[in-house]
Order: sequence, then structure tokens, then C-alpha cells
Amino acid sequence: MFGISDPGVWMTYVICIAALIGCIVYGYLNWNKDSDDDGSEY
Amino acid sequence: MTMAVSTELTILIVLFYLVLILGLGYYGYQRTKKVEDYMVAGRNTHPMVIALSYGATFISTSAIVGFGGTAAQYGMSLMWLTVLCIVVGVIIAFLFMGKRIRRIGKELGALTYPELLGKMFGSKFLIYASGLIFVAAMPLYTAAVLIGGARFIETTLGIPYMTALLGFAGVVALYVVIGGLIAVMYTDAVQGAIMLAGMGILLVLTYVYLGGVTAANSALEAMTPLVPENLAAIGMTGWTSMPEFGSPVWMTVITTLVLGVGIGVLAQPQLAVRFMTAKDGKSLNRAVPMGALFIVMMTGVAFTVGPLTNVYFMETTGQLALAAGNADSVIPLYINVAMPELFVIIFMLTLLSAAMSTLSSLLHTMGTTLGGDMFARLKGKRYSVRANQVGIVVMMLASLAIAVVMPRRVLLPVRQRCLWVCVRRHFCLRLRTVLRRRRRRCSRRSGV
Repeated sequence: MFGISDPGVWMTYVICIAALIGCIVYGYLNWNKDSDDDGSEY
Repeated sequence: MTMAVSTELTILIVLFYLVLILGLGYYGYQRTKKVEDYMVAGRNTHPMVIALSYGATFISTSAIVGFGGTAAQYGMSLMWLTVLCIVVGVIIAFLFMGKRIRRIGKELGALTYPELLGKMFGSKFLIYASGLIFVAAMPLYTAAVLIGGARFIETTLGIPYMTALLGFAGVVALYVVIGGLIAVMYTDAVQGAIMLAGMGILLVLTYVYLGGVTAANSALEAMTPLVPENLAAIGMTGWTSMPEFGSPVWMTVITTLVLGVGIGVLAQPQLAVRFMTAKDGKSLNRAVPMGALFIVMMTGVAFTVGPLTNVYFMETTGQLALAAGNADSVIPLYINVAMPELFVIIFMLTLLSAAMSTLSSLLHTMGTTLGGDMFARLKGKRYSVRANQVGIVVMMLASLAIAVVMPRRVLLPVRQRCLWVCVRRHFCLRLRTVLRRRRRRCSRRSGV
């Protein structure tokens, strides 16, 4: 994958990309959650 | 005339950068109305600023240049550090530690990390003990950052060392003293954006020069037989493969770098304070995507471009990247010989930003610890902006004194010394060459 044959290395890229996508999705889904008070917008 | 334009371009960019940074310092000053603003940015910082400030403080100059060079030596297996950085340094730090630190800090009204620890465990001793550790140990690190930054400015801009040292310290101290943590975090954010742009361009240009992602990585994998014998003997199997399990190289990569650096990030007070600046958990939720992108781009690009420099140098010089010097010289040398002229200036700003963001955060943490946790508490007074300002000035003077008095060999870690030596030799040389070339070009044009 990506021109790299050792899974021990290409897996790091897959994990990083997956984690990054996961973080973006988490941010999107929890954009307005866990607020101390309502109506606080930036 | 064109010569003046070339010189002016560099000076103009640096001046614009300084005006922007000092302007943000003034913005912090204007927004600072009470001690809470000065110490924890009013607990109302924008999520994007939290994310970029956290990242810029997290990633130092050595993470960009030093780790890139180390990856040129040991290969892409170091990408496990990026995995750990995003999992531990972003996901665990923001969502588990950060949310708790923010909530408890707000509930207890803690303004510094030592105060947070002390109030959590109901121990004044813990406040003084942790404060004393910070005040005693951090000036050494700060002095090393000061020397590194001053050497860098001296060699890139041709300013005498002492002038560069005082100027660097003065500019950073000025905006930290007047603007407090609001100034620190907003300047961090701008510096983080510069770092993000610099590393993004570096990644894209590297893959473009080497014919694309798959072609470049395949070329690196094809270089496996060229692994130096001394490294192969201790377990290195190639730049795109994991070292032999349990071998010395494996131990170096996995234990020292991945576990040590990746997990060590949770213990840094200047990072923990960032969480106390968030208004609520929602702010930290919103900061997570940018925080993750920043960390992946900084460490991931360094660990990817570093090994790929071997392909570039093999194609252009017939030698491995490390043939020209030590690990710390690889990235600056690569920037010098492979990148466009304008990128040399962008990379200079990237390194300057990394140094300034680290210095400002250290100064603020030390100063508020001395002025608030130590001085104000011992006097039985409430924390005040003035006491913190005095604390920052005192800690900056102490760090400066150490930087001037202490022998550099005692103070600077080998990595940092090597970094600035190589910057002087390669990176700055390249910058001057660019200027000289433009000077000649314009001289020819103007018939001088």
C-alpha cells in the first residue's frame, strides 16, 4: 500500500488517516455538545 | 536596485511577521481586564486558537528538523510516534485529560497548573513543591531555547549574537508581559498556522519532485540493499520496514522515541494550561479536528519527508542523506538544495515560529508560577497581573543570565547544538546564496 510493502509501516499511515477522520467526525458530531451554558456561540 | 528588493523582501517579511506578533501582543493587552484573563486567557478562548496554540507549543524546532533527520536514518517506522501523538497527545489529552482539567480548574478557580494540583489534593505544599520544580528547572530549558533562537537569527539575518539574543528575548518577553496568556495563545495560533503551511508545502513539493506518493515510496523501498552495514547489523531492515523485533534499532525506535516522547506529552504543564483556557467541553470538542490535523501534519510530514530525502540525495548525488553530515543536518540541507528560493524564507519563519511559540509558553508558565504561586501566596496576597508580570521579567532575566553565563556545552543538548550548527552551515548559507544570487542578477540587469 502507498508503495510500502511492510504492514508494520503502511498501517501507521492508515491509522493516522483513520484517527484524523475520526477526530473530524467527532468534532462535527459533538460540535454543540458539552456546553456549560446554552447560547454560547463563537 | 533589484538587490535592494531582494534584501527588502526578506527584511519586509521578517518585519511584517514581527509587527503581526507584537500587534497580537497589544490585542492581548487590550483584552486583559482581570487576572483571570492574564493567566488563563479569561477561560474563553476560541477552539481554533486552543488547537493551534496547543500544537505550536507541543511541536518544537527539534520535532521538525531533528526528528526528520532521525527518520532519514531509521526510516518510516518512526511513524508510530505520529500514531501515538494523535492517540495520546490529541484524543486522550483533549477528550479525557483536557476536559477534566478544564472542569476541575473552573470549579476550583485554579489559575495555574501548580494551583490546580494543590487545590485538587487540598495541599499547599504541593503548590509550592511543583512551583519550585518549575521555577528551578524550566529556566535551563528556556536558556537552551534562547541560545538556539539567537544563533538561528544571528546566522540567517547576519545580526551579532548578543544583539540577536537580547532582541529575541526582548520581543517575546514584551508580548508575554503586556498581553499575558491571550497574547501567548494568539501569537501561538499565527505561528502554528505558519508551521502548518510550511510543512504542508514541504510534503507536497517532496512528492511532486519524486514522482508521486507510490513512486517515491517504492523508490525508497528499492533502496533497502543500501542500508549501511553498521545499521543493518543492529536490526535495521530498510527505510520502509520495521526494524527486527527486539534489536537495538527496534528498541531505539519503539521505546525511546515512541513511548518516551509520545506519552511524555501528557506531563507538560504548559500544555495542560491550554485546556484551562477553554470555555466549556464544547470548545475542546471543536478543537479536536484541528489539533489532530496539526499534530499529524507536523510529525507525520517530518517522519515521511525525512526518509524520502534518501531518494532525493541518491538520485542527485549518489549518496544517502546522512552522507553529508549528521541526522540534524538532513532536513536543512534538503531544504537548501531541493526547495524553491521562496520556501527557504517560509521555512525560516517556520523554525522561528516554532522557537518563539515554545519560548513564550515557557515564559508564561514560569512567570505565573513565580509571580502567582510563589510570590503572591507567600505574601498572603491574591494573584495579580502586576505580580505575574514581575515574575515573567524575573524568569526571563534568570534564563538570559543562564544563557550568557553558563557554558553552552553544559546547557545545550547535543541535538540542539547540532541543529544550529547545521542551520548555520547549510540553511543560512542557502539563504545568503539566494540573496547574493539575486544581488548579482539585479546588478547585471542594472548594469552595475
